[in-house]
Amino acid sequence: MTTATLGTPLPALDHGRAGLVNQVRSEWTKLRSVRSTWICLVIVFVAGIGLSALVSNIEAGQWSHLGLADRASFDPVRFSQTGSFLSQFVVGVLGAMVVTSEYATGSIRTTLSITSRRTTVLAAKLVVVGAVVFVIAEATAFTSFFVGQAVLLAHGAKALPAGSSILTQVHSSSIPYVSLSDGGALRAVFLSGTYLLLLALLACAIGFVLRHTAGAIAAFVGVLLVLPLIVSVLPSSVAHSFEKYLPSNLGLAMTLVTTRKTDFAGVLFTPWTATALLALYAVAAVVLASWLLVRRDA
Amino acid sequence: MISASRLSKSYGATRAVDDLTFEVRPGVVTGFLGPNGSGKSTTMRMVMGLDHPDSGTVTIGGRRFGDLRWPLREVGALLEAKSIHPGRSAANHLWAMAQTNSIPRSRVDEVLGQVGLEAVARRKAGKFSLGMSQRLGIASALLGDPGVLLFDEPINGLDPEGILWVRNLLKSLAGEGRTIFVSSHLMSEMALTATDLVVIGRGQLIADTTVDDFIASNTEATVLVRTPGADRLAGVLRAAGAGVRDQEGDGLLVTGLDAARVGDLALEAGVAVHELSPVQASLEEVFMDLTSDMVDFHGHTPLEVGR
Repeated sequence: MTTATLGTPLPALDHGRAGLVNQVRSEWTKLRSVRSTWICLVIVFVAGIGLSALVSNIEAGQWSHLGLADRASFDPVRFSQTGSFLSQFVVGVLGAMVVTSEYATGSIRTTLSITSRRTTVLAAKLVVVGAVVFVIAEATAFTSFFVGQAVLLAHGAKALPAGSSILTQVHSSSIPYVSLSDGGALRAVFLSGTYLLLLALLACAIGFVLRHTAGAIAAFVGVLLVLPLIVSVLPSSVAHSFEKYLPSNLGLAMTLVTTRKTDFAGVLFTPWTATALLALYAVAAVVLASWLLVRRDA
Repeated sequence: MISASRLSKSYGATRAVDDLTFEVRPGVVTGFLGPNGSGKSTTMRMVMGLDHPDSGTVTIGGRRFGDLRWPLREVGALLEAKSIHPGRSAANHLWAMAQTNSIPRSRVDEVLGQVGLEAVARRKAGKFSLGMSQRLGIASALLGDPGVLLFDEPINGLDPEGILWVRNLLKSLAGEGRTIFVSSHLMSEMALTATDLVVIGRGQLIADTTVDDFIASNTEATVLVRTPGADRLAGVLRAAGAGVRDQEGDGLLVTGLDAARVGDLALEAGVAVHELSPVQASLEEVFMDLTSDMVDFHGHTPLEVGR
């Protein structure tokens, strides 16, 4: 358009169309320009490291009082990832709010009226939330791991002999600590961050489905906290076949060091199966979200 | 150019837009008039692809919103002024919008300057007054330098200086050959700004015409006479076939005769005339007459009851 009113005319774009790359840039600008994003990310990082240090310290202090069975299930990796119990709710809030804050403020109508394909908006939000949560969650998981091991070391922990079964720690008198190369540790720490990524994507999809902040967060918390409660009051034969499918238990399975003896062995899926199943939940929620987004009035 | 063809939309049992067909041509300001709740905003949301019509189509330059390749560069809209995240600065809000359509950063500062918000560009939009939000909404409509612009009640919350600014802005945008579609429930404002009119009531089209034709075809020519011999003159005028109503003591409102004929008849009857003037009906009066039975939410004042 030639313009006197609007100052410099915009150079025309005769090729292509507004696509995912444009939308991802825009969503990143939106995400980084509100304070709540940074508060969420700081909480994930600080809580992850803080709880890792705290729990590792408490567990190490108990070592001398532990019996054989408890020593066998002493899991330095899991202690270091305790923060994810809190962080799962924080990334859920972040994922849901990226969508529901737009519905609450009405800015979703701005967003959808400048993009002709709504699924591009959904995809861009998933990409941006996913990337941000993945980076912060993995950084937190690995930092927490090393902080946790350092705390155990300060309590006089000793490395397990190379190539030994983890169960040998039962016969050891000293607290064990783990390095990333030990059986399953690297996988467990990596999947601990991946768990948060998948939950954030799930929450983002729930946000598109429910479109209200309180509703979306309540649904998300319900899936993680209330569903397990409901399953636990079912007759135990029924509960046993259901509980390994719960997202919270999938998260537990993902971070399990399988060579270690635990109360959960045999009850849960293997780490990679659990990861695939949780990813499947997220995909199902995203499919429902995009189906609704395209059909509903904004 | 915006073309709506047999557009209908219901929310539950409420028919918000009912078989609406109209065209908005480029180069002039087209007013979109209707009482509150008559379906103006719903229609605009359908133009912008936000609400899906139950039936019918609406196109922008011949294409549906979903088929536009760079939507922000083709159509800009101010729908609700408060459609902004309150924690985000005005500049970041516009920059996020610009990025979706490959619009350069420099353009953001330019439109902020045009709407007079450059001084508060870094301030959170949630702290803006309604007038400032309205200006930010106008800035976002202008961002993509589009050929088609929609404004839903743009002067809400603006001070008199702001209203004048919007009026001139709309006219100069239209003067550049753009298509300008402005909704308002303020008829007096449309009389000053618009050339064309689309008038709706209860979702149905009442008129698709120009402001001048709308007034001319919906009002009878009326003449105001002030005279000390009001009773006598009224009798004479009625005998000549005119409609006569009393107006504040010594005044008469005469329909069916023009001012010259009224003056001649008064002279023949020997009645002194102190004032004789044609009365131009305002758009407001015409509009109220036409839509009085279509207003969904009547205020219970004597004026309304009298209609």
